Amino acid sequence: MRHFQFSISNFQFFRRRVGGLALWMFFLAVNFAGATPADNLFAQGIKAYQAGQFPEAATAFQKSAQTQPAVGTLVNLGLAEWQRGHAGTAILAWEKARWLDPFDLRAEGNLKFARAVAQVDEPPLKWFETASTWLPPNAWVWLAGTSLWLAVGTLVLPGIFRRRKADWQRMLAALALGIFLFSLTANFGVVSRAQIGLVVERNAALRLTPTQTAEVILTLTAGEPARKLRTRGNYFFIRTASAAGWIEQKSFGEIAR
Amino acid sequence: MRSLFTKIILLLLSPLGLWAQTPPQIPPGGLIQLQVQQPPVEVSATLTATAVFDPPLVRAGEITFYRVTVDAPDSAIPWPEKVSAPAELKFGMNTHGQIMRLDGNKYRPFTAFVHEITAPTAGHFTITNFSLNISGQPVEIPAATLDVVATTANLPPVRRLVLDTSATNVFLGQPFRVRVMLPAGNNNEIEALREIQLNGDGLMTEKKAVRQAIEVTSVNGQLKPTFLCEMNVTAITTGRVRFSAQGFTAGREFSGPISISGQVSIPGGPPKYALLVSDALEIHVRPMPAESELPGYTGTIGKFFRDPPALSTNRIRVGEPVQLKVTFHGEGDLTRFVPPAPPRSRAWQIIADKPPSTGYTLIPQTDEVHETPAIPFSYFDPATAKYVDLTIPPLPVTVVGEGLPVQLPVFDDKSKSTVPLRLSNWAPTPGKTVRNLKPLQLRGWFVGVQLVPVIGFLALWQWDRRRRFWETHPDQLRRRQARRALRREKIALQKAVVAGDATAFVQHAVHALRIAVAPHYPANPQALVCADVLAQLNDAERNGQAGATARKIFAAMNAQFASTAQTQADWLALKPAVAELLHKLEEKL
Repeated sequence: MRHFQFSISNFQFFRRRVGGLALWMFFLAVNFAGATPADNLFAQGIKAYQAGQFPEAATAFQKSAQTQPAVGTLVNLGLAEWQRGHAGTAILAWEKARWLDPFDLRAEGNLKFARAVAQVDEPPLKWFETASTWLPPNAWVWLAGTSLWLAVGTLVLPGIFRRRKADWQRMLAALALGIFLFSLTANFGVVSRAQIGLVVERNAALRLTPTQTAEVILTLTAGEPARKLRTRGNYFFIRTASAAGWIEQKSFGEIAR
Repeated sequence: MRSLFTKIILLLLSPLGLWAQTPPQIPPGGLIQLQVQQPPVEVSATLTATAVFDPPLVRAGEITFYRVTVDAPDSAIPWPEKVSAPAELKFGMNTHGQIMRLDGNKYRPFTAFVHEITAPTAGHFTITNFSLNISGQPVEIPAATLDVVATTANLPPVRRLVLDTSATNVFLGQPFRVRVMLPAGNNNEIEALREIQLNGDGLMTEKKAVRQAIEVTSVNGQLKPTFLCEMNVTAITTGRVRFSAQGFTAGREFSGPISISGQVSIPGGPPKYALLVSDALEIHVRPMPAESELPGYTGTIGKFFRDPPALSTNRIRVGEPVQLKVTFHGEGDLTRFVPPAPPRSRAWQIIADKPPSTGYTLIPQTDEVHETPAIPFSYFDPATAKYVDLTIPPLPVTVVGEGLPVQLPVFDDKSKSTVPLRLSNWAPTPGKTVRNLKPLQLRGWFVGVQLVPVIGFLALWQWDRRRRFWETHPDQLRRRQARRALRREKIALQKAVVAGDATAFVQHAVHALRIAVAPHYPANPQALVCADVLAQLNDAERNGQAGATARKIFAAMNAQFASTAQTQADWLALKPAVAELLHKLEEKL
């Protein structure tokens, strides 16, 4: 009987311990899952921004975006950089936010505002590049993959499983094939748009050769768009609306990077 | 009304009485008159030379000077390296110098050569006349005579310069003061010195930091009015450095500002230019201790202090200059003070003020800085032989960005512009996230993912193909299924043997035999009997061991419930025969 009582108390003690441990682990897991380093940096950035410490805010948002790119982080990074007077970096951050989420109204509005103030143009896009802006870049690739295999599956699987192809299956296959063909062009647009970048430094020199002593062809405005064509050493070969030449890597920021 | 009209008329006519001011007119060539006329330099006159011993009468063993003067430039005179003289005369150091003297209304070069001579024995000595070719013109240097006596009580002392230094043990680069003094001559008459210079290697004299004065100074233990010239000298080589001074006596021709203290008499009349020299002095120059040199050392030696630095403002914009004022004090001479060099900084553009000012203009290049850059500086204190840190510390400063507009002005027609009037508010949450901004289309692993459906479809196609094959070849399918079932029964058979279960052994053996022959009929294995198994054996096998084993197994199956334990043990002994029989039947599948 005594042994039995002991067992009961032992069991209750064990249950309490295990319950407490489980609860603690649950909170720990929630804590870890809820507050990532990117989130902490984002919160730091918000605090600094509200205090008017824009360089610190920009640094925190920059680090957060490097750890985990997020639309809100990039919008805030652009705002902090704009407050610091870095128009090029601000426009680049908002372009990245729009690359991530083309439906974000804050990024779109800020870009229009900034380009109007800084007197710079939007990147000139070809028709398939314009089409690729309708959805996020990764959505296009998943759409292409899904529609392709849906079309293939709808056409092939009935035969394998010895079922008769229904009309709706044929229609579904045709629709999926059509979506695939359209998304293919959009995917080309995404790949093509990935070359686009922005001049981030004011009065950046566009040079004839990738050397520091090379002749300066043109002086570029911060926020001016260009396409990166080649890389050599610390220089990118870019093509702007008016000229092509070499620019230092630190003076040029790629959107899809 | 009338008076108003009159006033307006007068106001309108008033410009007629005005005229513009004209600049003063300078007559042609008037500017030339402003230039100060300088006397010309006479180089074409007949050259004359003098040669004397100064003094002409000395005691034996005493020093006298053989002085030769020529009215010609120093560079034009081919002075012999060795002057022909009686062998008894011992030549010591020699020197020469040039001065421009005013002769009437012209300048004439005047060069003096001085040889230090010692006559150890008494006698009358003569340096004979000799000729020099100066600028193509023969010039005769006259003879000079010297009388050396054994003892003479009242001989005037030899006139020499006195050299004095503030330090005889200095560090390389350390400035120190040197005084060249000319004590008053007879009747306390003071003469000025001109063209003073120090002879000797390893010293650098600062011509600009020269002070001339006439003071009562102790010379050789006697207080005398003395003309003194004090100058800054810097040692530029290590070791023992010997040097002497020379200068021309110039009467009352003082070459710069001079302070006179005490009662002195200055001789009148034209000056008598005589090149005087001093005894040589020796100083010891030590090298700087390089191992303990501190950052920011600019070669400044001495003892210095720094006031706290002050910024003109502590809140600036990027690109806006701010003035940093730093004041240094020092003990002694500050002419050799070298202010700290502006350090290189990516965040600041630093421009040092022009010397002797020691301030800096700082221009922030970024708004990420919170303090001015530290400007390293140290000096060497020769008293303690140590470097002393006097770095200008960083000062807190707030740098704000250039500030772009966050709001556009409101236009009358808003419908024409789609541009928002202001920037958005900050985002309260990070929002949609991705791992990487690089699109999936450009990532290698995504191509790999696309292979997964391909593999799935290939697998389905292969499965369908196989299925169709079995449908067209059912006999092969039965044999394949029989082989699989036979493998399973063999395993069960082995387990029964290991467990010693004779009943299970017989059941599995019979079942295995039925499975092995079933595809040949084809028939359900359960429907087959011993004769069906035997029919699949050839005659020899049927009548041999294999046939007997099959019969025994089927018989045991029929009689298993009636059998004894002893008989069941015999059944297990049939295991090798059963295995051999099954092997034969499996080969026929």
